Amino acid sequence: MGIEHNSDGSSKAKPAGSSLAATSLKIVGALLFAAFVLILVPMLINGAERWDLYYTLTSVALLSIASAGVWLTFYIGRINIGQAAYALIGGYVSAILVVDYGVSFWWTLPLAGLTCAVISVFVGLPILRLRGVYFAMVTLVFTEVAKMAALALPITHGASGIANIPLPGALEIFGLTLIPDFNTLENSRYAFYILSVTLMLLCYFMMYRLVNSRMGRLCYSLQQNEELASSIGVNITYLRLVAYAISSFLGGIGGAIFAAISQSVYPSSFAVADSINFMLNCFLGGLGYVLGPMLGTFVLYFGWDWLFQTGKYQLLIFSSVLIALMLILPNGLLSIRLWGKKS
Amino acid sequence: MEQVIANGLYLGAQYALIALGLTLIFALMNVLNFAHGQMYVLGGFVTYVIYGQLGLPFVVALIASAITLAAVGAMIEIYLFRPVIRKSHREESTMLLAAAIAFFLDAVILLLFGEKQRGVPKILDGVLNWDFRIIMPYDRIAIGVLAILIIAAFILYMQYSKTGRAMRALAQDRVAAQLMGVQVDRYSMIGFAIGAMLAGVVGGLLVTITGVNSGIGGPISIKAFMMVMIGGAGVVSGAIAGGFILGMAESVGLSVFSGYGDVTYLIIFASLMVFLAIRPQGLMGKPWG
Amino acid sequence: MKLLIRSALVAALSVGLMSPSLAENKLLKIGFVGVTSGPAASWGISNQRSMETRAAWLNETGGVKIGDDTYDVEIVSFDDQKDPKRAIAGMEKMAQEGIHYVVGPNVDDGAAAVRPVAEKNGIMYFPYAFPKELYMAPASNAVLGMVANYQSGPAIYKYLMENKGVKKVAFIAANESDPLSQRDGGVAAAKALGLEVVADKNTYQNDTRDFVPVLTPVLRTKPDLLVLSGVAPGNAPLLIRAARELGYQGLISTETAQDAQVLQEGAGELANGFISVGGASTPEIRTEAMEEFIERYTAMFGEYNDESNTKVYALEYILETMKANPASMASVEEFQKTMDTFEAPNIYMKGDAMLKYVGMTSFGQKRQVSVPMVVNEYVDGEFKTLFIAEVD
Repeated sequence: MGIEHNSDGSSKAKPAGSSLAATSLKIVGALLFAAFVLILVPMLINGAERWDLYYTLTSVALLSIASAGVWLTFYIGRINIGQAAYALIGGYVSAILVVDYGVSFWWTLPLAGLTCAVISVFVGLPILRLRGVYFAMVTLVFTEVAKMAALALPITHGASGIANIPLPGALEIFGLTLIPDFNTLENSRYAFYILSVTLMLLCYFMMYRLVNSRMGRLCYSLQQNEELASSIGVNITYLRLVAYAISSFLGGIGGAIFAAISQSVYPSSFAVADSINFMLNCFLGGLGYVLGPMLGTFVLYFGWDWLFQTGKYQLLIFSSVLIALMLILPNGLLSIRLWGKKS
Repeated sequence: MEQVIANGLYLGAQYALIALGLTLIFALMNVLNFAHGQMYVLGGFVTYVIYGQLGLPFVVALIASAITLAAVGAMIEIYLFRPVIRKSHREESTMLLAAAIAFFLDAVILLLFGEKQRGVPKILDGVLNWDFRIIMPYDRIAIGVLAILIIAAFILYMQYSKTGRAMRALAQDRVAAQLMGVQVDRYSMIGFAIGAMLAGVVGGLLVTITGVNSGIGGPISIKAFMMVMIGGAGVVSGAIAGGFILGMAESVGLSVFSGYGDVTYLIIFASLMVFLAIRPQGLMGKPWG
Repeated sequence: MKLLIRSALVAALSVGLMSPSLAENKLLKIGFVGVTSGPAASWGISNQRSMETRAAWLNETGGVKIGDDTYDVEIVSFDDQKDPKRAIAGMEKMAQEGIHYVVGPNVDDGAAAVRPVAEKNGIMYFPYAFPKELYMAPASNAVLGMVANYQSGPAIYKYLMENKGVKKVAFIAANESDPLSQRDGGVAAAKALGLEVVADKNTYQNDTRDFVPVLTPVLRTKPDLLVLSGVAPGNAPLLIRAARELGYQGLISTETAQDAQVLQEGAGELANGFISVGGASTPEIRTEAMEEFIERYTAMFGEYNDESNTKVYALEYILETMKANPASMASVEEFQKTMDTFEAPNIYMKGDAMLKYVGMTSFGQKRQVSVPMVVNEYVDGEFKTLFIAEVD
């Protein structure tokens, strides 16, 4: 399902027939995957009575949503180490609205994303002109700024954070209950799982559409050569801003749901380490593939857990594997599959 | 006020020295060395073991730190950065490699030296007290002066030695330098080794004042990036200026804003973002490095 | 490295020796969720190792008798990396394993984040975090595993007011959740005692290496007492050294536990007179059982950690409360009922001290383990006990 760009970026020039077959294959694949994660995985979890997996898989889904945003900024040729800032902002927006203003969680969720998108426009306008390590460093500093602001501002309740956030209530439209009150559910973990995985599927579907749209190809042209793109009439400022805003929107959504699950948010809920992990997720899965960040998040999350049994050597092994990957597999895990296909 | 300025100058001298090695590597290879702070920590621990534990003279320990880190730096360049740079055209690759090396060094340091804060005996006793207007211990003064001397030596070396000239040529235009017969591989390796060595030397110097612990590598790297960004990445004079500016900003900021406490660093960080947004190349850098 | 190999061997051996006895007794699993990797690793590692040492010891001597059955204790550990998102995963894992009693997490945000999981799945947990809302109704399942700063702080300030004539106090804290919360608690306590607070806004970044610029404005307020709120053991010697070198003559104190060797290396004799809250088992008050615990810990892991003086207690409380009411093994409601009246002899402390739950004054319900509050003074490389108090 990953999209592949040839070195000249002309992967779309294929005969219509085979492209149609490939498209329907992709649709079937996507539907099968959706059925797998939404129906089969819960059945397996219930069958094996491993209910703790609901939360870990929910985490992976949410982290991969935020990582998808980082991936999109990679796609326009920017190294984004600031996604944790937006996840933190999203968490706080949702928590403050729910706790201090009694707004329903379901309204705060899109609001959290939108707030992040708006903030990202103001932040992005000046800093998106920067490239390479400059952009990377400024976004890294932005993660710190967000944490310090959360510590210093009165509206965030400072160092003591916001705890005891109520679970999401019911979502009703015209008296019709679309989503039941999480408090009344026997297993709110399952509800969060379905919510997060649905959003993840939606996010990656949109991302796939975006990348394969006209705008996506324009974004790809930014990654290759901004001056050239600009000279042939691409509005690069606008494109960069939109991509960055979408990226931040996704970060905010992920953070808001995390705040709802943990029913608390602290200035340290999302930190520099998270920003770096988001970036590593993208890289591990493969920067050239839409599904890269999803796979990367999954492997990194469970890989790190799995390495726990090596005790104090956990970090040593982890970093060695990372270095080895850089040397032998610089294009991420998904590039393995494509090698197989070609040979 | 005199005290605040003296604090700022001392802080600036040590910051500038930290930033030098980082900016040198950046100038030569366009690599932002995320592992710079970890190299600093490693240098600190080498001095800790030789001077603090084995009781050998401080100078011996400092030289050992320098040699160890030069060797580590050279090996990292030859076996890790060189193949990755050759294979990959994405700028991300070297950054991620540097981040992975930082994790790796963190893990090694933690395993070898443990998680506790370590310190060594003072190299000089006594405190300079100028009428309670400036109070500064002699060892701080000594380290500050040493830092400035090393910076001066480094500038002279870059300016007048053959190696220094070759490296400057490389930094200015890699292709042109190559065409003019500069051995790019050789001088990249030497440059990386010198950059790492500088990190090790600062680590060794400062272990006598602030001690060392295995967790500070990452934060030191980030601070060093900030200085380099302020001054302009890849420019030696910029790194020195950046170091002194950040040192002064911290010292003055902490005094001026002491009544507001929690916001001091918020202001420093936020103004840095604004500054970089307006002037991405820093004070003295060329745009985009 | 030698140490490492030895401790690995000892651990492997002890696992090997334990396994035959595992087959005879039933198994009682107790959980640990905390940070055992990264820069803050030492907090959780001392917890986990204390629990494993005590479990191995109990199992070797025949197990724990609760009700009619005898159990071997198994410690199930989870590293949350100091990340609240991971801490929830850890608590979920404990629920999955059918564990009802968990020690940890080590920090505020983690302890708050696991609360929904713990309350939903009937898990009692013993955090080392201070926010009061964790322990006050309607929260029900958290038990504070140590003495909180808002309990030790006032005791220290009062002692210093009465014995050292302290009048003006200044606070300084790292710009992070836990230390800032502790500072605010300390400021309130000092004001309540009638002390003049001359500085309460100064903060530093946790990664600061040079504290002279941070301390310069603070010391200009000429305090009699400088409180380092929630200071990390690595930063304490740097702060002390910087303050003394700036000519500060007054007292310095903190409400967190410190490490004598770190102070010795980092500040030397400048640290003399530094007041901190010690582990709950200083040499003067520890029994032979505590000495044996330390020996076993050292044999298993190579190096003892003073923090385990306090962290030895949580597991003991869990097991003793279960002994007092075997029904609590499967039901935390029974455990909570027992907590109100529970008392058992404290085998680690000399005299007739009892294990009991406290916290009525601070939380309005008994949600804290009672451990002796030992206030220390650092003198020439070691801690001397200033006074010992109790929390109610």
